[in-house]
Amino acid sequence: MTSPSDELKHARSELISLFSAGEVSETFQENYSEIMDSYFRRSVQESETGELLFRHKNPFALVAVGGYGRRDLCLHSDIDALILFDSKVPASAKNMAEDIFYPLWNLGFDLGHGIRSVKDCLGLASENLEALTSLMDARFICGESPLYLGLMERLEKKILPRRGATLSRWLEEQNQMRMAVFGDASSLLEPNLKEGIGGLRDYHHLLWLAKAFFHLRTPKDLEYSGILSHREYAGLESHLKFIHLVRNHLHRESARKNDRLTFDHQERIAEVLAFEDQEDHLAVEQFLSQLHASMASIKSLHRSFVFTHFPGLRRNGPGSGPSEGLHAPFRLEQGEIDFPSATRILSDPLLLLDIFVEGVKAGHPLSLESKRLVREFSYLVDDSFRASDRAARGFLSILNAPNAFEALDQMQETGFLCVFIPEFEPVQDRVQFDDYHLFPVGRHSLQTVRNLKSLQQERDILLTDILLDLPAAEPLFVAALFHDIGKTGKDHAAKGAVLAKAILKRFGYDRERTDDVCFLVRHHLLLAETATRRDLNDEKIVVQCAEVIGTIERLKMLYLLSWADGKATGPRAWNDWIANLVLELFFKVLHILERGELATPDASRRIRHSMQQVRRQIGDQLSPADQEILFDVMPPNYLIETPPRAIARHITLYATLRQTGTAGLGGAFCLEAQAEPSSGTYEVTFLAGDRAGLFSDVAGVMALNNINILSARIYTWRDGTAVDIFTVTPPLDPIRTEEVWERIKRDLAVTFQGRLHLADRLQQKAEPTILSRKKTLARQTRVHVDNEPSDFYTLVEVFTDDRIGLLYRITHTLFTLGIDIRIAKISTKADQVADVFYVLDLEGQKIMEQGKVEKIREGLLQELSSK
Amino acid sequence: MKKVEAIIKPFKLDDVKESLTALGVKGLTVTEVKGFGRQRGHREVYRGAEYQVDFVSKIKIEVVMEDELVSDAVRVIQEKAKTGQIGDGKIFILPVENAIRIRTGETGKDAI
Repeated sequence: MTSPSDELKHARSELISLFSAGEVSETFQENYSEIMDSYFRRSVQESETGELLFRHKNPFALVAVGGYGRRDLCLHSDIDALILFDSKVPASAKNMAEDIFYPLWNLGFDLGHGIRSVKDCLGLASENLEALTSLMDARFICGESPLYLGLMERLEKKILPRRGATLSRWLEEQNQMRMAVFGDASSLLEPNLKEGIGGLRDYHHLLWLAKAFFHLRTPKDLEYSGILSHREYAGLESHLKFIHLVRNHLHRESARKNDRLTFDHQERIAEVLAFEDQEDHLAVEQFLSQLHASMASIKSLHRSFVFTHFPGLRRNGPGSGPSEGLHAPFRLEQGEIDFPSATRILSDPLLLLDIFVEGVKAGHPLSLESKRLVREFSYLVDDSFRASDRAARGFLSILNAPNAFEALDQMQETGFLCVFIPEFEPVQDRVQFDDYHLFPVGRHSLQTVRNLKSLQQERDILLTDILLDLPAAEPLFVAALFHDIGKTGKDHAAKGAVLAKAILKRFGYDRERTDDVCFLVRHHLLLAETATRRDLNDEKIVVQCAEVIGTIERLKMLYLLSWADGKATGPRAWNDWIANLVLELFFKVLHILERGELATPDASRRIRHSMQQVRRQIGDQLSPADQEILFDVMPPNYLIETPPRAIARHITLYATLRQTGTAGLGGAFCLEAQAEPSSGTYEVTFLAGDRAGLFSDVAGVMALNNINILSARIYTWRDGTAVDIFTVTPPLDPIRTEEVWERIKRDLAVTFQGRLHLADRLQQKAEPTILSRKKTLARQTRVHVDNEPSDFYTLVEVFTDDRIGLLYRITHTLFTLGIDIRIAKISTKADQVADVFYVLDLEGQKIMEQGKVEKIREGLLQELSSK
Repeated sequence: MKKVEAIIKPFKLDDVKESLTALGVKGLTVTEVKGFGRQRGHREVYRGAEYQVDFVSKIKIEVVMEDELVSDAVRVIQEKAKTGQIGDGKIFILPVENAIRIRTGETGKDAI
């Protein structure tokens, strides 16, 4: 005959292989407890000392305590057992312990054991709360049952009444410690199945409290005694089953007692539990979603239970102020809100929402009974409920309240949020299997709202200021709640905007604000993505971002949403590093919107219109893809200020340039002059690869050929092509204009090759001749260097009298000072020149040093005052 | 063996990473860093309050490679990370004494 320990070993390994094969998954703990029980029964029976003890009238009982007592044995759980004697532990008890317990140690069990008299047990229980809770779960295995019954009776009658209050306080302390150490498992990516909030411990606490205060014997009594409703108990059972199942698999996978479900085990367990990958939703994500939902439900049950039956344990939160301001028909009972009666809900279902509205106004939470009623009657929420005015107004008043989070949290806990906004249902518990998103979507959305609401307490003055500046922050709060509602698959922001629109339409929400919300949802990633993935020194990128955003109010809301969303996602989504980049982008976009030139809705419309016309004019000269590439390299100022006809011509010239020159090197350029008969002027277009000093060379060659530049606009395309447009006086000899343009081209070519010394030639030319001498009023030359108007360029403005070669002298001076001209606008009015240059230094940086700014000013003033 | 360390603009990471992988670099470490060089932080004013941003956010990549690869690696980093504007970053090349793969104990070039 096999020994008890061999039998145990055999039975246990058989059970494990059954379990691994996917059987006994629901009854594993009970089966396992059964196997342990039969080991103990047999080993007691076969223990010779046991025999002797009975014969000497020294009866004893073998008792399972702790988790083993509850029959909650997981694969690698500790086994806690006790040999119980009546009044005194005989000396020979030790031998029996050897018979019974030693084989277990040899088999490698984690065994907690005790050999005690009933009196010792009670003494220990009244001193040590851990011992007390362990005894409360005690279960008789074999031996003298009256001993066990006597122990339990005295525990219940003598110890618990005295220690109950201490126990409940101690459990609450344990809760706080668990929260600090293990966190809220119902929303953590690597939850601790046992000790985390929402873990099995929550259930144990509930059970202990119920045993201590309501004299429950078994878990089923929770339902029989009416502490939980039938539905709640059934829910609890199935959630516990699931968590135990996961825990058993986790123990099996880790081959040890391990309760933290770390990343490395999640995919494997999801597979074992037969979750399957679906489009856009990985098996492991579905698995975690279900686990989180189960844990959230247990957490909620435990919390409501403590809240209802142990009001003294409640920590003072924002929800426990005085009871003013609570409107009929609701009643305040011990700091919690109650429905007047269940029948009132039937006659007026909207009370289901009103109770949250009243709660958030008065700062009180719902009672357990109220929450239960909300759950039970949630079937009353139908389409007409959802579309009613009162519901919409109520819901918005919740979102606008400072403690909106507390109300939303209870709405989520009771399932009301998903009933009232069914669009939440598919995303609520959705988890993403990565180390980026720390929380399921539902929790994350609420946390986003909470972040915004707690801005007043943030040390960040800027964010708080921005929030206070908003004329209406409501769209921001609505968007915060809905921003991830489209997270059922790819492109969730766009999907979310569509869903948000449908929800708000149902609410009869203001059209303009709906647009704001939809905008925020659709673009909630815009700032963070642009800031981390695009070049913030590229004006066009920032202008495009500003175009999408459109108004300063929207920018402010979007910035706050980006912050609140990122912070609610996790430390990888929001940290100082990212905050830094997003802040830079925020200010750059803000400045562009404040200046209102490049990115107003009007400007965007004009650009779109202009691009359409250009497309029509170039026809099939270029493939649509190539056209788009070109539009992309054109800077915003250029697109706004240049007529479509001119843009089309530049595109043609650009293609020619590309064919002749090697991408703007070796002095390749294009020059085209067209007469403008209406004004008697010429328009000269010049394209070349940009370099510092290029503009100055062109201006010099024009001056050399007696062409007076009346106005000019020069741009640098983003691929480094300089595009200059000059309006000039006609060549002096009206018959041979073509010759002049040809000569200018030749001069440009030799200048670019470095074979023409412009400065000297112009110096000679500047000697007064009859032709060029003009009467001028010597007006004061003014030069401003300004860094404020643009985040991307330093502006140099020059106002002075016009004269031959002036533009050359200005631009050449800038060139010798190491200044690169990126954009310029030259205009002449009645001999007065107003030139604006958008410049950078040769490293591509704005000129910020005061010394350098002065040098530019002085250099230009000096150059222009000399003859 | 050399370690090539480069500080680059965040949005250039993908380009640089791809071209290094194409060169045959077998692994690299990426860190989000903040600092300043010639490109200083900047100051912003909002409603009268000043917000000073002292450090600029950049990406640091670190790659250990055999000597033969260094010049190509430096070339592609430079090519890919360049915008021509301030703040394009820097590349540092450091000698590496040895490398050990923790799992197998392999050393030297086998470990990289």
